[in-house]
Amino acid sequence: MNIDLLFEPFQYGFMVRAFLGTGLVAIVAAAVGTFVVLKGLAFMGDAISHTAFTGIALALILGISVYIGALFFAVVTALGVVLLTRVSNVKNDTALAILFTGVFAFGIVLLSGTPGFGGDLNSLLLGSVMAIQAKEILLLASVAVLLGLILAVFFRRFVLVSFDPVGAEAAGFPVAFVQSLLLMVIAVAIVISIQAVGVILVVALLITPAATASLLTKNLKALILLASGFGLLSSCVGLYISYFFGAPPGATVVLVATVFFGVALGIQKLRRA
Amino acid sequence: MSLTHAPDLALNIQNLTAGYPDNVVLQDVSWQVKRGTLAAIIGPNGGGKSTLIKTAVGLLTPFSWTTMELLGQSPKNGRRQVAYLPQQEEVDWGFPITVLDVVMQGRLVKQGLWGRSTKADYAASHEALDFFGLERYKHTQVGSLSGGQRQRVFLARALVQEADLILLDEPSTGLDAKAQHELADLFKVLSEQGKTIVAATHDLNCLTACFDHVLALDGHVLVDGTPEEVLTEANMVKLFARHFPKIGSAGEVTLHEH
Repeated sequence: MNIDLLFEPFQYGFMVRAFLGTGLVAIVAAAVGTFVVLKGLAFMGDAISHTAFTGIALALILGISVYIGALFFAVVTALGVVLLTRVSNVKNDTALAILFTGVFAFGIVLLSGTPGFGGDLNSLLLGSVMAIQAKEILLLASVAVLLGLILAVFFRRFVLVSFDPVGAEAAGFPVAFVQSLLLMVIAVAIVISIQAVGVILVVALLITPAATASLLTKNLKALILLASGFGLLSSCVGLYISYFFGAPPGATVVLVATVFFGVALGIQKLRRA
Repeated sequence: MSLTHAPDLALNIQNLTAGYPDNVVLQDVSWQVKRGTLAAIIGPNGGGKSTLIKTAVGLLTPFSWTTMELLGQSPKNGRRQVAYLPQQEEVDWGFPITVLDVVMQGRLVKQGLWGRSTKADYAASHEALDFFGLERYKHTQVGSLSGGQRQRVFLARALVQEADLILLDEPSTGLDAKAQHELADLFKVLSEQGKTIVAATHDLNCLTACFDHVLALDGHVLVDGTPEEVLTEANMVKLFARHFPKIGSAGEVTLHEH
């Protein structure tokens, strides 16, 4: 293979921005996603991304920042779920699924019914990382650093409320607050990842690299680093494939991540055999 | 709310009615446990053993009560010196966490939201690991240990937390006879250090040998006292009989009247 091919995409500014933007959110989403996988919260990631879509749709129509719209809906969803599970003491995933798909459908109807926004629908659903602007990357980078900091500072407390919330609560530890903070970090990670891969596939960016890593190590810190590595690698390889084969980048990134998962699963089975 | 303030009591509960929405499990339960005691709660399934422990540590909100004190303080303040060990099957043993990290959580719950771990925290953790014979497993993933070792990890965490009251829900479940005896011995050592142990248990075997205080609970307090006082045949029939069918002389099966 000609080595020049490797650098070919980088002659275009939009590709450089795509690599930067996708790589950044992939690292953060994978690190945050480790907790999503450990706690079995994938369905909640789904809920957040779908309601965030409607937040974006409303923001577009109202002419305010899409990030604010998405963030508002994502955080309300995350906190709503905490409340729901605390009050009813059961995993109310049926009620949640009805609610978030309903809100999602409302967003689609809203957006497709508003003249001039039909094109946005497609890019929201499938991502539009090729169109990402330099100032958006700056925003993503700042948020990514912020999330990384929160994760680092509260790491052991996030582990505590994930591993033994009951024992921590019994000893008077502020479990509800720390859980809510963790969910908000997850919500924000989803919001900043939507542009890269779109609403439908964003959960994959969150959980697939972390699930892959969890097959290979039982050490939590190694798991998070490995997950971030898989996230970054998937986004780079995915973008190359997208560039050379003209497929939507969000889809190729997720596809590569899924292939990594399959390979890791195979390795794990071989190790045990 | 409090009628008496009793610092020598680890647990002071008066007239407690508690349970789950639509299901009152405990009716008018009063129970006091002195500091340094090894106390057991026995009774049939559904009799409220877990409910009593969970309510005491604030995991369930009671319906009504007149007194509720932990270590002579309000539950909110007392809980900082309280450790709760859930039933084995309620813990996610696949979680990628090492023995040392679990034990260090004892300091974390004391610190609350802020604060970093110091050398003293690590020293305390290593000391506790040493005490429970777990030092060589410190970097092992906690779920790969045996049932008895897992219990000791959580007891080590309670020690690091400097908990004075340790409540356990069915601690002997899944342990073989040897591990059960080792656990009972540890309870004794801990109580000699002034810790109070309260365990909900369905295992009546080692009660007289291991515990000095037994509460027989079946929705209400049936009897409360030393093992010798509580574990009489008459009491055990009252406590468990309605959960077993009675077979008459003609082979007819009836249920005990309660």
